[in-house]
Amino acid sequence: MSENTKQNYLNHPKGIMSWLLTLDHKRIGLMYLFSGILFFFLGGLLALVMRFELAAPGNDIISNEVYNNAYTLHGAIMIFLFIIPAIPGALGNILLPLMVGAKDVAFPRLNLASFYIYSFGALFAMYTIINGGVDTGWTFYTPYSTQSTSNVVPMTLGIFIIGFSSILTGLNFIATVHKMRIPGLTWYKLPLFVWALYGTSLVQITATPVLAITMVLLMLERFLGIGIFDPALGGDPVLYQHFFWFYSHPAVYIMILPAFGIISEIIPVHSRKKIWGYKFIAYSTLSIAFIGFLVWGHHMFTSGQSVFSQIVFSFITYFVGIPTGVKIFSWILTMYKGQVSFTPPMFYALAFLFLFTIGGLTGIFLGAVALDIHLHDTYFVVAHFHYVMQGGTIVAFLGGLHHWWPKSFGVMYNQTIANIAALGVFIGFNGTFFPQFLLGLRGMPRRYATYDEQFVELHSYSTFWSGILGISIFIAVMNLFWSFIKKNKVDPGSNPWGGMTLEWTHTSSPPHPHNFEEEPVLQHGPYDYDKVIVEKTYKK
Amino acid sequence: MSEHHITPLKTYLIIAASLLFLSGVTVWVSYIDLGSFNIVLAMFVATVKASLVAFFFMHLLWDDKKNLTMFLMSLMFFGIFVTITMLDTGFRGDLGLNPETKDPINKRAAFYDTLPLTDTHGHPVDEHSDEHHEDKDHH
Amino acid sequence: MGHHNPDSPSHLKHYFHDVNQQYETSKFAMWAFILTEVLTFAGLFVAYIVYRSWYPDMFVDAHKLLDVNKGLMNTIVLITSSLTMALAIWAIQKNNKKLSVVMLVATFIFALVFLGIKYLEYTHKFEVGQLPGEFYSYMGPDAAHLNNPHIFFSIYFIMTGLHGLHVAIGMGLIAWLIYSTQKGNLTSEYYTPMEMIGIFWHLVDLIWIYLFPLFYLIG
Repeated sequence: MSENTKQNYLNHPKGIMSWLLTLDHKRIGLMYLFSGILFFFLGGLLALVMRFELAAPGNDIISNEVYNNAYTLHGAIMIFLFIIPAIPGALGNILLPLMVGAKDVAFPRLNLASFYIYSFGALFAMYTIINGGVDTGWTFYTPYSTQSTSNVVPMTLGIFIIGFSSILTGLNFIATVHKMRIPGLTWYKLPLFVWALYGTSLVQITATPVLAITMVLLMLERFLGIGIFDPALGGDPVLYQHFFWFYSHPAVYIMILPAFGIISEIIPVHSRKKIWGYKFIAYSTLSIAFIGFLVWGHHMFTSGQSVFSQIVFSFITYFVGIPTGVKIFSWILTMYKGQVSFTPPMFYALAFLFLFTIGGLTGIFLGAVALDIHLHDTYFVVAHFHYVMQGGTIVAFLGGLHHWWPKSFGVMYNQTIANIAALGVFIGFNGTFFPQFLLGLRGMPRRYATYDEQFVELHSYSTFWSGILGISIFIAVMNLFWSFIKKNKVDPGSNPWGGMTLEWTHTSSPPHPHNFEEEPVLQHGPYDYDKVIVEKTYKK
Repeated sequence: MSEHHITPLKTYLIIAASLLFLSGVTVWVSYIDLGSFNIVLAMFVATVKASLVAFFFMHLLWDDKKNLTMFLMSLMFFGIFVTITMLDTGFRGDLGLNPETKDPINKRAAFYDTLPLTDTHGHPVDEHSDEHHEDKDHH
Repeated sequence: MGHHNPDSPSHLKHYFHDVNQQYETSKFAMWAFILTEVLTFAGLFVAYIVYRSWYPDMFVDAHKLLDVNKGLMNTIVLITSSLTMALAIWAIQKNNKKLSVVMLVATFIFALVFLGIKYLEYTHKFEVGQLPGEFYSYMGPDAAHLNNPHIFFSIYFIMTGLHGLHVAIGMGLIAWLIYSTQKGNLTSEYYTPMEMIGIFWHLVDLIWIYLFPLFYLIG
């Protein structure tokens, strides 16, 4: 590791314009990070409003109409403005070129453009909120979305625009992975986070165009009454669901695959043991990405689609469990006989394993047609996808932030507070969402502002713990930012967790404006801890 | 710049001529009634034409095979999209429990009832004085 | 690698090793972009296939309302423009700037002719009321019996409209190419933008190759 040169991407060059017009992938990543977290808090705030409304039956805080707007905006903001862009846009942008040893992504100007396209799309979403919201649910199902008088058009237009940003980021990453690796960095020597981003990007460029055309058709249906999705005009509303879920089911994997990648990085580093089954994890990423395109109809079991297609969708859905299971087992086997240290990133990774497994297994329940017809549109579904999306993706995202925070900013946060916050997130999360499985099994439908007396107990538990969850996440994020304000600097050459990937071993913290002072030469694989620090890791 | 493949002029001209010829063929064939085989034939000719464009004009034949893979992937996902959607749309109401769901959307939209009959220029015609009256009663 | 040749060409970006890496990267990304284009149209093709299978008779009868001659003319125009585009790249590879510009201008003109013919077709449809969705009003003797022909015209207008939009975007790009080639920015050493736009233009042709039989020939 070379000596500190004082010059890093954060302080060079200076000035607001050097940030707004930057072509540096690390700065663009930071801009994604800040806007993502902003939307995360906005979406979280909406969630808390809903939870407090549901603390007791009846309309205590907000009316039914406001509640409809709240859950729609919560879903749309969290998915389209935070989760989908957050990990690839923020962590992916900062880390991908570093991990492949490149000076930048393949197309830096395109990269900046996709950030501004994202911001432009986000403006439409913000306009929607100011202008009175939208009440269709984030899925915009027809025929209601063609009739609703709320702001369906600005919101769908916003999503349409953000879709382009997603496509361009995906294109950029694919080209970067294929063409920008340093010599000697072959596919099987890539860090698994790169594989995950690659799989994600493939899904992004393949699925998102269909979302774009679906949103166009929906808008045309509203403007011209084209009749494609309108039964009164000879069309078919279920076809809309096919179109929508052809994108939105793979989109689930756009959200979860990068999280898998983060976990695949955190676990070996913090267990000081080579990842178990590298190729299994790498190929399971690609097979999840592929199988994700075959199962969209399991969102539509009660839509009136043909029974034949239900059987096929249900059958294929189970196959998703195979590569996912392979990953979980690989991670557990990586920890087995490793030297596990309970650092904040590792706490998040362990929480991920626990929460995602619950989310995944309940997904198998829902993949069974017969059971799904009972559970469809109940709180069981709500709990399931929050276990996957929040317990999986967002917990992994927080873990990733804690893992790469010293690398990205050259500062270290207070690890005790971070551990406590991680514990708070874990307990608060389970407290909030586990009761919802029970609510769902007992028949509590989703998307209602009020409910029967019999559900009071579980709902009030859920609300209480959601407060804890919200506070914990807030503390976790503020703890990170506080380290930045307090300037608790780490030594620029330090490698606090002992990572072996290029971003840890070949550049300073924070990295040089051009990533590496000289082009890195590959000396070892991404997880070869044994080759370098044998004495430290050998125990017994 | 390192050596790029330069396609000979003759190749381009032959390909363009074949494309024009095939366009003629597909129009000509469409006037012969082959039943459902018409669409198969037309799609076959279109695919031949598309392959000529992709392999020669777009240089896929000489390119890095990664580029071809990308292109084939797009077709594969299109295939998945169509096939799986048709598993639903082609089999609606397959349990036969409710005959109404068998043909989900074949009802004529209501706005047709208010449309006046027109001539081939789109101008409304008097319903009682022309030969198309018969047409309307039929349907 | 990693050592920058001080006299490396000006079009080489600093984050690439050499021009070949840069060229191959652009081209690969272009093909990834083509994938997104194909899948954008895929949604509409699915709509076409599904509705054709639901309304087979209506599709066959409604397609007779389209003008095959204009469709065939457009096919010929577009194939020829594809040829001129390929020849423009061929010319620049041979460092024949003048021929390249001529070919690009020809491509531009063919694109304009394509849109002109499309305009004539659209205006005729607007006049007789063969319009998408609820705006449909044509009840001529050859159509009065049809079951929901507005769906055929919805799909027809959306697909050809999106295709026409691509032609228009392609024209803008070709106009820019004419300007840069004329200015001497593109040479046999560096013509990546022309090749990229060429691939885009051939895609436009490729999609029309399917749209033509699906709408004009077999309903």
